[in-house]
Amino acid sequence: MRLPEFALLRPQMLAEAVRLAAEPGAQLLAGGTDLIANLRHGLGAPRRLVSLEGLTALQALERGAGGVRIGAGVTLARIAQAPELAGACVAAREAAASVAGPAHRAAATLGGNLCQDTRCVYYNQSEAWRRSNGYCLKLSGDTCHVAPQGNICHAAYCGDLAPALIALDAEAEIAGAAGAARSVPLADLYRDDGASPVALARGEIVAAVRVPAPAPATRSGYAKARARGAIDFPLAGVAMALALEAGRIVRLRVALTGTNSRPVLLQGTDELCGRAPDGALADALARLVRKQAGPMRTTVVAADYRRQVAAALAGRLLARLAGGPP
Amino acid sequence: MSGTVAGHATPLIDGVEKVTGRARYTADLGFSALWGEILRSPHAHAEIVRVDTSRARSLAGVRAVLTGDDCDVPYGILPIAHNEYPLARKRVRYWGEPVAAVAADDEKTARAALELIEVEYRPLPACFSADQALAESATRLHDDKPRNIEREVENAFGDVPAGFAAADLVREERFRYAEVTHAQMEPDAALAEYDAARGQLTLQSVTQVPYYVHLTLAQCLGMSPSHIRVIKPFVGGGFGHRTECLNFEIIAALLARAACGTVSIELSREQTFVMHHGRPETDIRLRIGMKKSGEITAVDAECVQRGGAYAGYGIVTILYAGALLHALYRLPAANYRGWRVYSNTPPCGPMRGHGSVDMRHAFESLLDAMGEELGLDAFAVRRANLIAPPYRALNDLQVNSCGLAQCLDWVEQASGWKARKGKLPRGRGLGMACSHYVSGAAKPVHWTGEPHATVNLRLDFDGSVTLLTGAADIGQGSSTLLAMVAAEVLGIALGRIRVVATDSALTPKDNGSYSSRVSFMVGNAALAAAQELKTQLEAAAGSGACFDDAVHALLAKSGPITVRGTYTVPPALQGGKFRGAGVGPSPGFSYAAQVVEVALDEETGEVKVEQVWVAQDCGFAINPLAVEGQVQGAVWMGMGQALGEATHYLAPHGLPQRANLLDYGFPTIVESPPIEVGIVESRDPTGPFGAKEASEGALAGFPPALTSAIADAVGIRVHELPVSADRLFEALRARRRAARLKTAARG
Repeated sequence: MRLPEFALLRPQMLAEAVRLAAEPGAQLLAGGTDLIANLRHGLGAPRRLVSLEGLTALQALERGAGGVRIGAGVTLARIAQAPELAGACVAAREAAASVAGPAHRAAATLGGNLCQDTRCVYYNQSEAWRRSNGYCLKLSGDTCHVAPQGNICHAAYCGDLAPALIALDAEAEIAGAAGAARSVPLADLYRDDGASPVALARGEIVAAVRVPAPAPATRSGYAKARARGAIDFPLAGVAMALALEAGRIVRLRVALTGTNSRPVLLQGTDELCGRAPDGALADALARLVRKQAGPMRTTVVAADYRRQVAAALAGRLLARLAGGPP
Repeated sequence: MSGTVAGHATPLIDGVEKVTGRARYTADLGFSALWGEILRSPHAHAEIVRVDTSRARSLAGVRAVLTGDDCDVPYGILPIAHNEYPLARKRVRYWGEPVAAVAADDEKTARAALELIEVEYRPLPACFSADQALAESATRLHDDKPRNIEREVENAFGDVPAGFAAADLVREERFRYAEVTHAQMEPDAALAEYDAARGQLTLQSVTQVPYYVHLTLAQCLGMSPSHIRVIKPFVGGGFGHRTECLNFEIIAALLARAACGTVSIELSREQTFVMHHGRPETDIRLRIGMKKSGEITAVDAECVQRGGAYAGYGIVTILYAGALLHALYRLPAANYRGWRVYSNTPPCGPMRGHGSVDMRHAFESLLDAMGEELGLDAFAVRRANLIAPPYRALNDLQVNSCGLAQCLDWVEQASGWKARKGKLPRGRGLGMACSHYVSGAAKPVHWTGEPHATVNLRLDFDGSVTLLTGAADIGQGSSTLLAMVAAEVLGIALGRIRVVATDSALTPKDNGSYSSRVSFMVGNAALAAAQELKTQLEAAAGSGACFDDAVHALLAKSGPITVRGTYTVPPALQGGKFRGAGVGPSPGFSYAAQVVEVALDEETGEVKVEQVWVAQDCGFAINPLAVEGQVQGAVWMGMGQALGEATHYLAPHGLPQRANLLDYGFPTIVESPPIEVGIVESRDPTGPFGAKEASEGALAGFPPALTSAIADAVGIRVHELPVSADRLFEALRARRRAARLKTAARG
């Protein structure tokens, strides 16, 4: 399986990258760990790849007054070790450390991880395979083989960083045409459509993520279920940030990945605040997870297992964070 | 014996090339070659109505276009089962089956040409399971095979009803095993060069058995074998995938001849998965009778294998599953019925532990459960059934050495079994199992009457010894082993020996690297050749002379010489006379026992293998370093099958759902536990220095030891592989539900 032919463009400035990215047939290339494997499978044939490698401005990771700002070009290996993200924001480090293998993490970037393509057993296959199957709703076809009655793509979002950063209330800084910049809550970077999960306009680039200074006594963490202990995408991933006061939860943010077409910020966790982090609370949390996780038959592993294991991970993460040191 | 070379841990003689990247594999060789591409079936089962290649032929840069019309000679590994064509004729029987092929100046042109080939298909109903294929209403894949049965095996040894009548406990269980495949590191590739002026063909390929490739090329291309040369360069693993001649090898040769040039074919990982020839999806029903002492009184086994679209080694696989019920324990009576069934999936074939692995899981699992029911320790059950060599099994397998008792002792001690079994905290468990394997098949697939193995040793003025062998080193270390055998006999340093292997123009014919035959058979041939050379050296110079002086003395008389050593399996070890008796007999059987420790996560169903202790009786470890690595590799491969590996084909097109290294699910280094290896040396009376095989015997013990450990940890016996987290999660949930219902019913 060979790469399609493309021109590799190497802008040095963000404005230039934005301009190049807006041109027809252009696609952004960061670490390439997701994109290159997909291109080898014939999933897209961009005429131009706009490499973000030369944009040193995207490679800063710094702590400021309002929190930590992570450039989109920072590698996952660096995030996994970043002292700026120790303590309350450690979920981001744990998520980064859980991605693929060490060689991937050395090349993969935050921006690439956030914007990675959704995955499905009917999509991540060779051209010959997909052609035999009449293609699918996500690419070149008109049927979703996961749910043939519907008309929406159910490919699963599988990034590990997004849920961790969403649980930490992160915002995405997006650069656009003619110097335009906007900032959105990270959860809003995504839409519930497996065919097109990242809500960026043509030419827009995720430039950085800002993680605000956490509320006092916040603890966070990330847990991931996968078929093997390395390499694999999450069957389900759960990120959590919580704050405790006098043995009671005062703040709880939970986000899921691997189970839906977008990272899911769990709804209903505010109602759990004020309670002690005991078994009953874990059960209530697990019920929320089971209800809002919507895994479909997009993996070789049974969908229901992904739902159940997401709930189990959430309960376990709650126990770990509530019991552990702040 | 432990000599000056044999018995010492020795790094592989070709290891430096591999770790420095200097080793050249088949896909590294074809830089200036034409590019070959294969057009493959998009259907699981269809009639080929029409193929039109005219547009592809007229594309600039296309040098050859072939279809099924270009080769009407069927092939197959077994002389009695030739039913496959290199390019499908009239019908395709699995998704991805080659239909047409192109050679072009470059890859882009070749791919463009594929798009220009028009094929009209008439889809036929397809069978994706043995049950579907066996239905009376099922469409036949091969017209001469009613109910799609390739081979039905039935044999009975001893008085089985009497055995069950004499038992204190009789239990029967059903087991189910997913299809698994080799997933060797190197994808498939071949490079064919046709010299039109001389009418000669040279093929370089990833094969484990260049000799079979050579024979099949001659047959399918209608050429004299004398005009064909087959070379095996460095090969990145095989595990049985490359034991048969494979379609892309023949296609590369056909294209090279048609184009009068050199053609390279490289398969993608997905295409390599579809090439398959691995372990079939298998259903087993097993009944065992046992005395209170643990002694087995009778066995009744049934096995159904979904074999895929073509015969391949299928008959051998279904026979092995029955034959290797025997020769591990004393069996006084045993029935076996097996069905090998055709299906619209890629052909299965031999895979490490050929035929024995699934049946061994069923057997050890049932043995384990019955022992528990009788209050017997797992080791006690095995010890109650040990064989004492020389022993002739009911099916005429002759065992001349068996170190299973010592293997049991070693793993029992090393794992702390007595102190720890049953005393681990909840969620942790210990399990054990035994296994065995042949050291080569006593009857080769192509029976010629020739010796089973031949090795030549060449000696010239420089005093170096060149060992010429057709045995394929595919990473297992056979070239190193053969050099060590020769060096030991000749009393020279290993560095004085060069091994030239697997080039039909230079090296003697060899039956190849399969069924763990090389150490025993080719090792014996190397031993004989070295002894012959030594005899000649001593005759020329006397027994006291140093090697250089002896060489000068000998060559002064004879000039440069080449001596020959051969090995033939003695008739007494070649097995019985009943139908199917040819599969199973071997000159030596290896034995292994292992203990597996697991930690289980009951909330997620995840199984972690904490440690493995494994002992293997390899007769004598000629190279203990390689033995350790091979035993660890076998355990690891068993672990892959037990924990996560599986193929799956989607109806209606037969698309392989898991044909990539992400979804196929073999373990990563993270899952790889410490594997402590104990080497047991039973000194087989006819093995080279007493050696037997060391690469396959330990594989089959892992899956049952794992499921036994899971039973120890959480009390659930899993009768289906792989034991993936979702499957175990379901089993745990079902048990919780049952417990709740029980409580509710009581309340």
